[in-house]
Parts: sequence; structure tokens; C-alpha cells
Amino acid sequence: MSKQDKAIKSQKVPMSRRGFLGLLGKGAACTSALACTGAAVGSSLLGEPKHGFQQNDDQLAESINNPPKLDDYNWNDHSWAMGVDTDRCIGCLRCMEACKMENSVQMDAFHHRTWVERYTYLEGSNTAVVDSQADPKNIENAGSETRFRFDNRYKDVKVDKAFFVPKLCNQCEHPSCVQVCPTGATFKAKDGPVLIDTTYCIGCQYCVQACPYGARSFNEVRGVAEKCNWCYHRITKGLNPACVEVCPTGTRIFGDRNDPESPVSLFIKNNHVQVLKPEMGNAPNVFYKGTDKEVV
Amino acid sequence: MPKHIVRLLILIAAVLIVAFSAKQFLIPDSFYQYGHYRGNAVTEVASKLPKLQGSASCKECHEKEYEVWTTGIHHKATRNNEVQGVVYKYGPGCEVCHTGPAGNHPSKEAMPLSVEDKITSITHPEIKVHPANMAGRKLMLTPREMRDVCLNCHEKLPGRPLEQKQIEVASHSGEEVCTNCHNPHSPRIVYASLPIGKRGNAEAGKAIADTCAGCHGEVGMSLMPEWPNLAGQHFDFLVDSLKSFKSGKRPNETMAPMVEGLNEIDIRNVASYFSKFSCGVSGGDKAMAVLGKAKAENCKACHSAGGLYGSGSAGVSGNPSWPNLAGQNVEYLANTLKAYQDGSRVHPVMTSIAKTLSNDDIEHLAAYYANMKCK
Repeated sequence: MSKQDKAIKSQKVPMSRRGFLGLLGKGAACTSALACTGAAVGSSLLGEPKHGFQQNDDQLAESINNPPKLDDYNWNDHSWAMGVDTDRCIGCLRCMEACKMENSVQMDAFHHRTWVERYTYLEGSNTAVVDSQADPKNIENAGSETRFRFDNRYKDVKVDKAFFVPKLCNQCEHPSCVQVCPTGATFKAKDGPVLIDTTYCIGCQYCVQACPYGARSFNEVRGVAEKCNWCYHRITKGLNPACVEVCPTGTRIFGDRNDPESPVSLFIKNNHVQVLKPEMGNAPNVFYKGTDKEVV
Repeated sequence: MPKHIVRLLILIAAVLIVAFSAKQFLIPDSFYQYGHYRGNAVTEVASKLPKLQGSASCKECHEKEYEVWTTGIHHKATRNNEVQGVVYKYGPGCEVCHTGPAGNHPSKEAMPLSVEDKITSITHPEIKVHPANMAGRKLMLTPREMRDVCLNCHEKLPGRPLEQKQIEVASHSGEEVCTNCHNPHSPRIVYASLPIGKRGNAEAGKAIADTCAGCHGEVGMSLMPEWPNLAGQHFDFLVDSLKSFKSGKRPNETMAPMVEGLNEIDIRNVASYFSKFSCGVSGGDKAMAVLGKAKAENCKACHSAGGLYGSGSAGVSGNPSWPNLAGQNVEYLANTLKAYQDGSRVHPVMTSIAKTLSNDDIEHLAAYYANMKCK
């Protein structure tokens, strides 16, 4: 502490100029609610009940004392998370197909709640070539837009490295999509997933643009936004999400972080995991193992 | 207070009352219950019924298939049954390949997997119409789509982890449908369990074999290198070959008249006779054989005792319906591959494989197998 600072402290004024300017700065930052809620969540101590996203004290008390009435399920007991082990992914796209069947998503390559990307480093190249099932060549190879399959386009060239990365909604702790929704049609449930209330969605698509991960799409048929909710209707009944259920290699790992023995807790504990785009401050709940820095 | 101000205030008050009462009326009770959203929406989202039912739900009706799957490689030997010490999941279940949720089954959306021309009738208690004729959705798969079901996971692609079993399609099967050799519910070929035809009588076969001895030698070792050695060849393969000569499926000017007079029993007897002899190694150019070894990786799946992944003598086929190649005459091997190339001999798998080979490849491969020990 410099002499000057000491002098300021000893004056015992109600508020120093430095303090006032600091508060002013914080106030300005708080006009973007992200920083505010970030601070609010961060300040809750371990063991205390945690506020949900944009939740006041009364609403927190309500969600604890009077949770949504579901058979054998209390959302206060769970904190869902997913792990993705990209070392195991074979790019078969069964997850995508199962998801579409389970959730009645439009059957084409461009509307999806979950999808898979292929990152390929050609010989001598430092940047990855990325393609997904929506690539025209992959659609052609699959035979139709209702089938999903990666083609063998690199069989005649040398590939330094390649891997598949399954993508889905990250069910962020600080979801940008919820932030921008003007009608309260999308929200973060107490147990983790970000859900859509389709009766309140007006189809403005702000959320589609706000998501830093491109995880949302727009369902033109129903006129509402479309997103992964970790099959909320399945996990509240004790089942795995559809993509986890069908993944033939165990790439996707799902479970409750409140249970230290659940597959996802062990996955996070025993592996070096990372989240996508940590710099966005969204605090995702999908944890990736084995991806390169190019994966965003 | 001036009159117009009072009127204005009354108007503002009226608007506020209408606005607040409208808000009370329009916003549902549960809206601010847990946050800035409708609290009832949580239950609504959660109350949807799951569609995928899991493999166990198939067991009741498809008992036989379920048993084959549970005891087979697709269920057991996948590498994901243990993650970080926790057993939590097995390999590809029913709904991975049979996409179309079981929850909708049996209905238009459920998708049985069968090649179109193989199923002619269906006996499912709930499905009265043949799936191929069902309106709305094409349920039966073409052979190409059928192959794609397997290739979704098993085509060799850069990026697939090495632990995943993968095949080079062109050299493994070509246009052939996977299910011709593999049982999709348990795809590893178990050679020991394959049905082996009834053996013939070798003693009785000796009389017929005298006719063959002019070219193929008395003990099955050919007199000329263009003709195949028969000694120690698989019985089933010899029977198949003789029958194909007879039916014209395998056109051959020399052999066709030879087998013309043979009946089913004669064929089995003579095949039994030659298969009993111990094979010999004809040998070939050693330097070429070294070059052929790498190329022979593609042949391993069928022409090696251990198959693609096991260990076993190269050139000794695990399946008795496929020929042993080890020790065979080098000229005969090369000619056969060339015959597959130019179409004078046709085989669903071998034709497409042979077309991927250059003339040098053929020389090398022939030399390689000619040098292999046949026992």
C-alpha cells in the first residue's frame, strides 16, 4: 500500500473517490446481467442452497419447498452433467438419429439437437478441415437427407490426424439463450438442463443467435426454437438421454454430479476434461476429453 | 385543479387499472414461481413419454435374436462395458441398428432391417401388412442401405479410433451384403460352428480319382503348375467346386465334361478322397513372396485360420467352404486371380477384390501363398 493510499484510508471519509469510482465501474458492469448473476452465483457459499439462473430468494425457496410435481423425482437432488470422450467416438451418427426419433426433430441434416463434427488435419497442415453430416458430400454419400453418414473423402490423401467430436447443448450455468429470451419461454431448470416452454416461445430466434455454441436451431414447422434438453422426459424417469442410450462405443457419459460414484462424476474425476469456449463465461456442463484447441 | 388535468389523471388511472388487471389475468399463476418462466412448463416437458425402450424390451417377442445378441460379440466384447472401473453399459443395443424407436413399435415408424428380396412373408402378430407394402414410409432396405447399416460404424475412416473394428470396403467385400457371411446380431464368424457337409467315402472315391490323376496327380499334387493341387484341400470347397463345374456356375472347358457323369455321392466321395491326402508346398520366388506378405493382409479375413484378428496359419482358410491357398501352385493362383479380373471366373467377393490388384500384386500374392506352409 502506498503512502497516498494510507493517507486516504486514515481520513475515514464515508467513501473514498477510489471506492466510489470502483462501485461506479461495477454498476456499469452490472447493467449486463451476466456479470451480476455471475457474481451472485459465485458468492453463494458451498453447502448453502444455490440460486438458479436469474432466481431471487423467494423463488429459490419455492423451488426447494415446492418442487415441480413429478413421480419419484425431486429436482433438488440432482445436478446433471455429461461427459464426451472424443477418443472413443467413431462418427457413426447413431446419436443424432436416435435423438431425432426420440424428440421428433425434423428429419433432415440441418435441424438437430445433437450432431457430430469431423476434424481432419491433412498432411503438413496446422489447421483442421471441419465437416459434419450437413456437408453436401456427406449427404450424397448417405443417399438421402434422412440418413446420416460420414463419407470416406480422405482415402486418397494423407491425413496427419483426425477425430470426431459430438456436439450438443452445453446446458450452461450462465446460459446466453435464457438471457435474451423476451418471453421467459426458455429457462434453466434447477437440476441443470435448459428447457423450452413451447407454448410461450414466439419464434423470434434471439436465442438461436445468442448461443455461442450454435446448439439451437429453429423448427419452422412448429415455429419454435429447438434445443437439446438432455431428454428431460427421460432423465426425470431414471433413464439415460437417447444419445447416451444408443452410443455404441460409450463416447457419451451421463450422470448426476451430486453422486460421486455416477459415471460422469468418475469421468470428470479421472480424466483431464475441458469445456468448449471457456472464454465465453457460459460455464458449460458438457465436459470433453481428448479434443484439440481447434475444437470450439 | 383544472378540469383537463383531472381528466388526464383519471385516464391514466384507468389505463393503469386495465393494464394491471390484464397482467393479473394473462400471466399464469406459476409464471414467477421458480423464476422468470412458467413453473408448470417443467412438468409439461418432463411428462413426455420416452420412445426408445432399450434392448430388454425386445426380448419378450424376439427371444431368439435377443439370445444371439446377448451371447455374441456385439454385446459382450465391446470395449465400453467398463469406464473408469464402472460397468455401466454394453455395446450396440437393438435400437442402434434398428433405428426407429421401439416405443412406436410395431407401427409405420418402426424399422425392421431386412433385405427386400429376402423376406416374402411376415408373421408378426401386430403387423398384418408386409412392411414393404406399408403406406407412408419405405421400411425395407435395399442391399446398399443394408450395407450402410454396418458401414456406418465399420467402414475404415481416418479419425475412427484404432480399437474400432474397421474394414476397407473395396477389398473386404465389394458390393456384397455383409449378412451373407456375418450374423448381424453377433458378427464374429465362428468357424467351428459352421455346418459342415456330410463326408463322402474316400475308398469309393479312389475309383473316380483315377480319372483325375492324369492331371491332378495320384495323391492330389498336380503334374503341371497351371493346374491346382487338390491334396489336403477343404472337403466342402472341393464339393462346391465340382458342383459349380457341373451346373455351369463356374464355366471350365476341361472340368465340365469330367464331372458331367458324377452324381452327388460320387462328388462327395472323390472330394473326400483328395481332401484326405496331406498337402505339399510347391514353392515360389522368395523375393516376390516377401512383397506379397503386406498385400495378403487383405486376404486374411477369409484365407487365414485365425481370420482378420486372430493368429493362425496364413493361407489355411478357417471356413471349410473357402479354399486353402498355402502351398498351392504359383501359376494356378496367379491365373485364378486374373480370371476373376477379366470376368472369366465370377465370385461375389473375389471379383471385386481382384479388380483392386495390379499385375505385380498378383505375382507377389501368388508367390507368397505358394511358399506358405500348408499345415
